[in-house]
Amino acid sequence: MSPKVTRVLSLPFVIFWNALFWTYDRATWQYDLMVIAILAFVWLTPPAWLGDPIATGPGFIGWLLGLL
Amino acid sequence: MTFTGTIGTLCFFPLRAIIAVSVVLRVHPNVLTFVGVLINFVAAWALAVGRFTLAGFIMIVANIFDFIDGKVAEELDLRSEFGGFWDSVMDRFSDISLFIGLIYLYAQLGRTDYVMITALAMMFSVLTSYTRARAESIIEKCKVGFMERPERIVLFMIGAFTNRMAAVLWVIGVLSIVTVADRIFYTWRELNRTRIGTAA
Repeated sequence: MSPKVTRVLSLPFVIFWNALFWTYDRATWQYDLMVIAILAFVWLTPPAWLGDPIATGPGFIGWLLGLL
Repeated sequence: MTFTGTIGTLCFFPLRAIIAVSVVLRVHPNVLTFVGVLINFVAAWALAVGRFTLAGFIMIVANIFDFIDGKVAEELDLRSEFGGFWDSVMDRFSDISLFIGLIYLYAQLGRTDYVMITALAMMFSVLTSYTRARAESIIEKCKVGFMERPERIVLFMIGAFTNRMAAVLWVIGVLSIVTVADRIFYTWRELNRTRIGTAA
């Protein structure tokens, strides 16, 4: 993305665009962030929300919601 | 150093020993690649029968072979164009076999929704490799997009060991679609840039 376009667009859009149009190498802090986001989705989402055919249990988010 | 970089460095230490043994025994790298695929077929069977933890362990062994073949080829000075081609083709066999194992499992459970999700993830995983290979026949490099093979393999292992395969399939599916779109867009942009540069 050209610097001119980047200046015009807001920061959240730039972050969203950079995550979508991925050009970062492995072992960069951007890569780490993406990995953390993916692991959070995989481990925290209750299997029932995704209709997981094998896994059971509430998952971490489900467990937290159960506490409320 | 980033945390993914640290994990990579730690995992590389035991692999050094295996590479050294393969070099001493002068095992041909193409044989290592093929053995990796055969072991992946066993992992696919384990997935198909729902034995995820076992599948995870088998995938680790299979991917050790997959990882060391290139290093052994380098150390034995056996790098060849055919070796690269063979490795890429065998990688597709390994990838697709794992997906087929899951498709079989979900079909057995009568879950057509997950049969479709797995099939879509498989289609876009193959297209991820294809778009890059095809793009690099017309532009110099097309290494954009997050979801490449190493990410897929690690995600498969995480899904198998922690019994979160459904979430993993969603991640692989969605990010593979994005990766394919990235590569199509990048190739279009690079070709247009070249054309404009040539015209000027």
